[in-house]
Amino acid sequence: MEEKFVVPQKFRLLTYGLIAIGGISLLLGFLFDSQRAWANYLLNNFYFVSLSIGAAFFIAIQYVAQAGWSAAFKRVPEAMVSYLPVAGVLFLLLFFGMHSLYHWTHEDALQTDALLQHKSPYLNTPFFFARLIFFFGAWILLTAALRKFSVREDFEGGLNYFYKSEWYSRVLIFVLALTFSLFAVDAIMSLEPHWFSTLFAGKIFMAAVLHASTVIALIVIILHNRGHFEMLNHSHLHDFTRYIFMASIVWGYFNFAEFMLIWYANLPEETFFFVDRWHGAWKFLFFFNIVVNWAIPFVVLMPRMTSRSKPVMVPVIILLMIGQYTELYYIIWPATVHAAKFGWLEIGSFLGFTGLFSLVVANALSKASLVPKNHPYLEESVAHHF
Amino acid sequence: MNKNYFTGVFHDEESLVKAFDRLKEAGIKPEEVYTPYPIHAILDGMGNKTRITHAAFFYGLFAVIGLLSFMYYVSVIDWPLVFGGKPFNAFPSFIVVTIVATILVITLATLFTFSVRAKIFPGKKAEIVHPLATDDKFVMLFSDTIGKEKEEIVVNIIQEHGEVEK
Repeated sequence: MEEKFVVPQKFRLLTYGLIAIGGISLLLGFLFDSQRAWANYLLNNFYFVSLSIGAAFFIAIQYVAQAGWSAAFKRVPEAMVSYLPVAGVLFLLLFFGMHSLYHWTHEDALQTDALLQHKSPYLNTPFFFARLIFFFGAWILLTAALRKFSVREDFEGGLNYFYKSEWYSRVLIFVLALTFSLFAVDAIMSLEPHWFSTLFAGKIFMAAVLHASTVIALIVIILHNRGHFEMLNHSHLHDFTRYIFMASIVWGYFNFAEFMLIWYANLPEETFFFVDRWHGAWKFLFFFNIVVNWAIPFVVLMPRMTSRSKPVMVPVIILLMIGQYTELYYIIWPATVHAAKFGWLEIGSFLGFTGLFSLVVANALSKASLVPKNHPYLEESVAHHF
Repeated sequence: MNKNYFTGVFHDEESLVKAFDRLKEAGIKPEEVYTPYPIHAILDGMGNKTRITHAAFFYGLFAVIGLLSFMYYVSVIDWPLVFGGKPFNAFPSFIVVTIVATILVITLATLFTFSVRAKIFPGKKAEIVHPLATDDKFVMLFSDTIGKEKEEIVVNIIQEHGEVEK
């Protein structure tokens, strides 16, 4: 089943345009409101890294569970993972914005704040970047190995690469659970260095899985509408929806559990995070996140009829992509910008990163056959029906 | 034991599905088909859509509303007590109980619904239409009430693919 994806010239120009918009808006942002621009930079970076990580987790889960249905579509999450090296470079550029974002990098704050002093062996700039390099290095190495096996399998066949991939997937799941949690703590939770929550990393990880599954489904649907993936049927769509549905429930559960325990225990060093966000736009976003990321997918995707129809899935997917943005916005903005500012800078930088991500993903998709050729579960995936 | 039904026994999936399709062409549907494992063609062909999922959804909805209003009644209206400075209507802490109790309500209510609809109860004697229906054979069940003419068609079709047992 040879299927070649060629990046359309129009699409390529569109992504260049989007990247230009993003570059210009960020540049103007750095000139006029550098703190807000850095907050945008961090949010968008984290948004698309979590998509890549979620996609890597998706691949690993398929291998470990020996899932048959998804074999034909595995090039899509693989392409999403190929964004990781780009994201790594962009994250290292955060070095120049540390002072605008992270309170714990301020010398004067460190001298008067006992808690920051206590945390400084972990939260200091050199160690922060050492960890970043380690995290991205581990992710890139493991996912590149999986990608290499997958592409070689196309030419050589046999079960050898499948077993290797399965073994690497087990390692990847373990590594992701550990490193992405620490990464979430480093990149986002340390924006409020006085606050801590054990469930925070788990929640962010589930958000990554949730939104990566939505984007995988979206890319598959777009490619299907363009004439690729002819074997896509309602059962595949249903399985994609089950992933979104499941991750949405787990996210809702984690989000609620985090809030409820802090609310119930009522300890000032934990509650201030939510107290700060209990007025104005933040209070609206608190409920908006729950409605968009949990309530709407839960109700809309529950019936069998809706969960296997593209016209229902696509709006929910778009809504969830907005939901991931607002969730990160809800966490990052009160800690850095201290005001609910939303304007051309936010829209422009998000469009820029979307363009970059789409370009990298499309390029990666065009580099190998769109449908893997010798995957042992390919037959089962094509004939999938339930 | 007086039987008011007759069965068609098949040895493999292929002959069962062939016979099933030919019966469908003749406009006849078996009362019931017993297979060792689920077969898509039969599941679709029999067209028996279960509505128990809808029932479960509404049990869950009623359970959530009922449990939340019960807890509201208990802790706000009937016997308000202050726990650790919490408001009487400590809504977030009600949700945990609601989730767990809703799962219990849905499980038990759907179990009873299923038992009533399928007429299954403890101590009931199993109705086995054919000794091999619980084994590796594929068994179709027909009621005698379908009439002589149709019965003849059915018997003819089944005999081409399997055996008829009266």
